[in-house]
Amino acid sequence: MVDGKITIALLGQPNSGKSTLFNGLTGLKQHVGNWPGKTVEKKQGSFTHNGMEYIVTDLPGTYSLSANSDEEIVTRDYIASGNADVVCILADSSQLERSMFMLADFAGIDVPCFLVLNLADVAKDQGKNIDPKKIESKIGIPVILMSATDVKKYDSFFECMEKALKDKTKLDYSSLEKGYETVEGYSDLKTIISDGLVEGYSSTWLCAKAVEGDKVVRAKIENALSGEKKASYEKTIKTLDKGALSTGECKFAWIDEILDGSVNKVETSVKMGKFDRAITSKTWGKLVVVLVVIGGLLLSFIPALPIMLLGGCVTMLDEPIRTALTNANASPILIGIICDCLLMCIANTVKMLGFAFGITLVFGMFEESGIMARISYVFDNTMSKMGLQGKSVMPFLVSFGCTIGGASSSRVIDNWGQKILTIALAWAVPCGAAWAIIPMLATSFFGGYGVLVIVAILVVMIIHIWITSKIFGRHLVKKEDRYGIIMELPPYHKPKWKSLLRYVFGRTKDMFFRVIKVIIPVCLVFWFLSYSSIGVEGSVLYKVGTFIEPVTKFFGLSWQLFMAFIASSIGKEGAVGVLTALFSQTGTIFGAVAGSNEAVANSTQLLINNISGPQALAFMFAITFNMPCVVALAATYQETHSAKWTTLITLYYEASALILAFLAYHVGLLIM
Amino acid sequence: MTSLNKMSPDQEGVVASIDGDTRFLSRITSIGLTPGCKVKVIKNDKGRPILVFLRDTLVALNNKECERILVEERSN
Repeated sequence: MVDGKITIALLGQPNSGKSTLFNGLTGLKQHVGNWPGKTVEKKQGSFTHNGMEYIVTDLPGTYSLSANSDEEIVTRDYIASGNADVVCILADSSQLERSMFMLADFAGIDVPCFLVLNLADVAKDQGKNIDPKKIESKIGIPVILMSATDVKKYDSFFECMEKALKDKTKLDYSSLEKGYETVEGYSDLKTIISDGLVEGYSSTWLCAKAVEGDKVVRAKIENALSGEKKASYEKTIKTLDKGALSTGECKFAWIDEILDGSVNKVETSVKMGKFDRAITSKTWGKLVVVLVVIGGLLLSFIPALPIMLLGGCVTMLDEPIRTALTNANASPILIGIICDCLLMCIANTVKMLGFAFGITLVFGMFEESGIMARISYVFDNTMSKMGLQGKSVMPFLVSFGCTIGGASSSRVIDNWGQKILTIALAWAVPCGAAWAIIPMLATSFFGGYGVLVIVAILVVMIIHIWITSKIFGRHLVKKEDRYGIIMELPPYHKPKWKSLLRYVFGRTKDMFFRVIKVIIPVCLVFWFLSYSSIGVEGSVLYKVGTFIEPVTKFFGLSWQLFMAFIASSIGKEGAVGVLTALFSQTGTIFGAVAGSNEAVANSTQLLINNISGPQALAFMFAITFNMPCVVALAATYQETHSAKWTTLITLYYEASALILAFLAYHVGLLIM
Repeated sequence: MTSLNKMSPDQEGVVASIDGDTRFLSRITSIGLTPGCKVKVIKNDKGRPILVFLRDTLVALNNKECERILVEERSN
């Protein structure tokens, strides 16, 4: 108990409805962070019941409590450390036998607990009759059969929870232990390892994990032992082989024993519907996935548009505020900061939130409904070559439209390292803003040959993704963590809009502050660098740009092009505007980025007169493969929760864009 | 007896043995695949994971890794 608050931890396999229960309990009161020192997302929330305040920790959804991933280690360490007053273990009633594995793997961790048999409605539809009281009598902890989606019926859940807290109910696993005793080496280890040798764990749990070959547990036991005991421990361990299979069999035998007489036997089967056959088809599968993702992207605009329009309205405040400030004799610096910078930041953030909101909602629905697992299946082979899961294909596709959406849709990737790697690679996909500028520039400069530039960009994109996956992949998804897919394809569920909406709303609110925290400082710095009271020449950016021009020329970028390149980090749409402003000497750099400059006629001719072919080529590559925009940067930070990796990715892209510009420039010099 | 990755759709059987390193064994048992478990292959396309139905659940497994899972076939 912390500050009089009770902590309950939710433990369950993926698809056991853990998130639904978490959302149902906490509503909008949730917070996402990181587990200290680990690359694992930590979700916490709170609720009040009968005047007591409860903190809910949503533990990562894993299939077991072994040491196969950081997620599992974080989970078991958290439970064993006694941070939670009670552990709520979830199982899926419709796949009871399999999903009770978590309960069996938990057995032996000395913490009060109770069991939730979730998805009761689905089990009922299958014709399963489950008797929770009978299960309760066999395992000695409160058991409740429920549907986490039915928030109105949470009363019995609370009763169960309060009982577990009051009586400190512990799981009775004596029968499981009898099974373990038949496993080779277990009884020998039992004489060596005592309860609590490693804090928080019983000897049963420790021995079972040692038999299974759990490296982390084995090392901990070895550290805790000494002398003769250590020697005989090491001797016993050496003789063991394939222990995980034997204990696995024991666990399922125990589960069978619990379920025997508690559930009627129903033979279930799996039917592949029309959609399932299409999406998993060897020939059409990938195309169907691409269409589904594009459809999802379009669909996400329906909830996004109203919010994005609201963001557009913010820009309408520009004129009245500007007039009011001017009338009040405010300094031009203040007017610039407020109107050009802050207002634009807020407008863009709101627009981005709208977009992220739509994406999170639609792709959250994909995940809940079971579509996501199919996408993962179809693209598993392709994506695993880069160390990614099949569903990582989605952020890539979305990034062709907008990298912000790409970063937001990476939320469904459940491994943190893979999530960052996915975003890092998705940045290399030219976004909609690049597609709006590049073809126009390419045809203006090279006419019909412009198509070749587009082809070259696509080829470079693929090579870029491949190289970047090698550079970042080594650190983010370690070699020993790359293994074949073992994943459940859950049956299709109707998405639960209410709980999904509640979750997405809560998240969006959180996001606003996080994102604005990133955008405002970046834009302010850029604004100050580009500020000048006497035309462009007075700005720091101009002075630096012209000073280092000998260097940037090397990359094929004149000072004007280099400035536009820097400005394109804020937003690619502004790059051409910045060039126009610089060459025509009208408007300001920041005004061009914010889009408030007056339009200049014949801007294309202006560019052609001032930029050579190779330079144009260099510039196109530089802005295409530059960081997408400051909002995408913020979205990346929001999803990864890592300032370190966000910074690394940003610097990497700024640098690699210049390298590509250099290559393009020199290739251009050769062929033109 | 055959390995799981050689089975064709709709074929059923009972898992006889599983081989592999600790990590694989631990992962595969935690999703429900243990010796003695009934399995039915749903889909087995080249270059795709195998879809197997076991313990009320549809599971996708890496094709190559399924070489190490031996199954006693049963005629249906």
